[in-house]
Amino acid sequence: MNDMSTGYAILDVRRTSPNIGAEVRGVDLANGLTADEFAEVERAFHENQVLFFKDQSRIAPDVQVEIGKMFGPLHFHPAAPHLEGYPPVFVIHAHKESKIANGEGWHTDVSCDTEPPLGTMLQMHILPSAGGDTMFASMYGAYDTLSPAMQSFLEGLTASHESEHIYRGRYSDRGVDDSDKVYPSAVHPVVRTHPATGRKALYVNAGFTMRINELSKAESRNLLDFLFRHMEEQLMVTRFRWSENDVALWDNRCVQHRALWDYWPEERKGHRVTIKGDRPFFKP
Amino acid sequence: MAESVTVTPLTPIIGAEVSGVDLAHIDDDGFSALRKAFLDHSVLFFRDQDISIDAHKALGRRFGDLHIHPAANDYNDGVKDHPEILVIHADEKTTRTAGDSWHSDVSCDAEPPMMSILRLHTLPPLGGDTLFASMYAAYDALSGPMKQLLGSLTATHDGGPNYRDRAGRQGVDTSAKAYPASSHPIVRTHPETGRKALYVNRAFTTHVDGIPRDEGNAILGFLFNHIEKAQFQCRFRWQPNSVAMWDNRCTLHHAMWDYFPNVRSGFRVTVKGDRPV
Repeated sequence: MNDMSTGYAILDVRRTSPNIGAEVRGVDLANGLTADEFAEVERAFHENQVLFFKDQSRIAPDVQVEIGKMFGPLHFHPAAPHLEGYPPVFVIHAHKESKIANGEGWHTDVSCDTEPPLGTMLQMHILPSAGGDTMFASMYGAYDTLSPAMQSFLEGLTASHESEHIYRGRYSDRGVDDSDKVYPSAVHPVVRTHPATGRKALYVNAGFTMRINELSKAESRNLLDFLFRHMEEQLMVTRFRWSENDVALWDNRCVQHRALWDYWPEERKGHRVTIKGDRPFFKP
Repeated sequence: MAESVTVTPLTPIIGAEVSGVDLAHIDDDGFSALRKAFLDHSVLFFRDQDISIDAHKALGRRFGDLHIHPAANDYNDGVKDHPEILVIHADEKTTRTAGDSWHSDVSCDAEPPMMSILRLHTLPPLGGDTLFASMYAAYDALSGPMKQLLGSLTATHDGGPNYRDRAGRQGVDTSAKAYPASSHPIVRTHPETGRKALYVNRAFTTHVDGIPRDEGNAILGFLFNHIEKAQFQCRFRWQPNSVAMWDNRCTLHHAMWDYFPNVRSGFRVTVKGDRPV
């Protein structure tokens, strides 16, 4: 056992890789969280960047919403349809008729928002017979493994995150008419300081980040291409193989993730609750 | 230089053709005018200069001590009594020519040449142009943050891969030979003009020092593409006895090998330079 697993009175926390991720046992989220349980979950969350809750029962939507609210106000997705009667609950669903699946490329959730989500809690209810894993990459690790020269170069820069190209028409097959909608865009620092841990994390992603504002177009394209390759480094990645009712809780401020759609035509379905976050900032 | 001397820029950025001068006979005033034009335009071109090897070397010596090329002895067709002369020659037997990619001459040396003076006496009926690119302009076109980043980095220039490949293709055994390798700043300040210039090139620059290879490769890959943009360049079309005189501290050049199996031949004199700063 390692040092990160010790000191928990309630939870059993086992890291899944040296740099990111931990499996958590000892609570059933379907029952909600007590204040003591929440304190340990939050600590494990900050220490491990993404938590995988094992041996869970199905969480009722209102309970999932209540747990989310313990972290902060909830986030309402700018594009995706929600579960009927539960506006904060985003249904993740891919099946035989799907033309796209959510989160297929590396990204942080909704980084196009001015105040992007702090974290995301996803419980999977229906899983394919094999496949549908989710990979999580540590952006602390991505930052830490850059040279000091590259780090200080990036620390002075900001990037434009946009969503029009992703969201326009994306959910039309679920009956969403977005013709009147303006999708969000935002400028964020390329390196952000995590507001809770104080650690620095790389904050550009291939899904939403279009360009680095202070650089020429060619410089920006080249640098982003490099960073997008760099952040995929498997040394900083953990890969989660889901079991039914497993819950993943990830910190969008320091993690990117990618859901593999390798199970078509099988079905994969779950409920996601997203917690609103602060405006990203950089503190030297 | 006499009053008939005229300097005609080829582009606003780089290169000028100089007429009305005999490079074998330049007085002190003429030389200082030549030197000023050289610093202003980075590359000068002259026509109809039927000068001797000795006059060629004497011209070079007015700029500084002459450089002896680390690969000069790899070739059988060297001018044996003149180690300062590098024979530039391609014909129907050639498998690889000198300068067939963007480079700054011998940037692998710790003190790379400040300038090169090339006279071609034999030219193909068509082709064999040389392209020159301004590394001042390439630097100036970068964004502020990129300039800052590059200003903090050095890169290694290694002559081995380039020269071994070239000699190997001519059947020269280089296994016992050591070629120079040096670390230079990616941005160098020209010692005479004070202007900043990019100082990396595809032929010699192998990696950025002190940072991970992936980062360095990303930076160099970008820079190699950047510095080859047409807006930083001029292109010189040679005639027999044309002379080109280029500043290796702020230019790259690339000799087109588009005339095989024809002959292109001449002599180069290279003037020693300072350690880049």
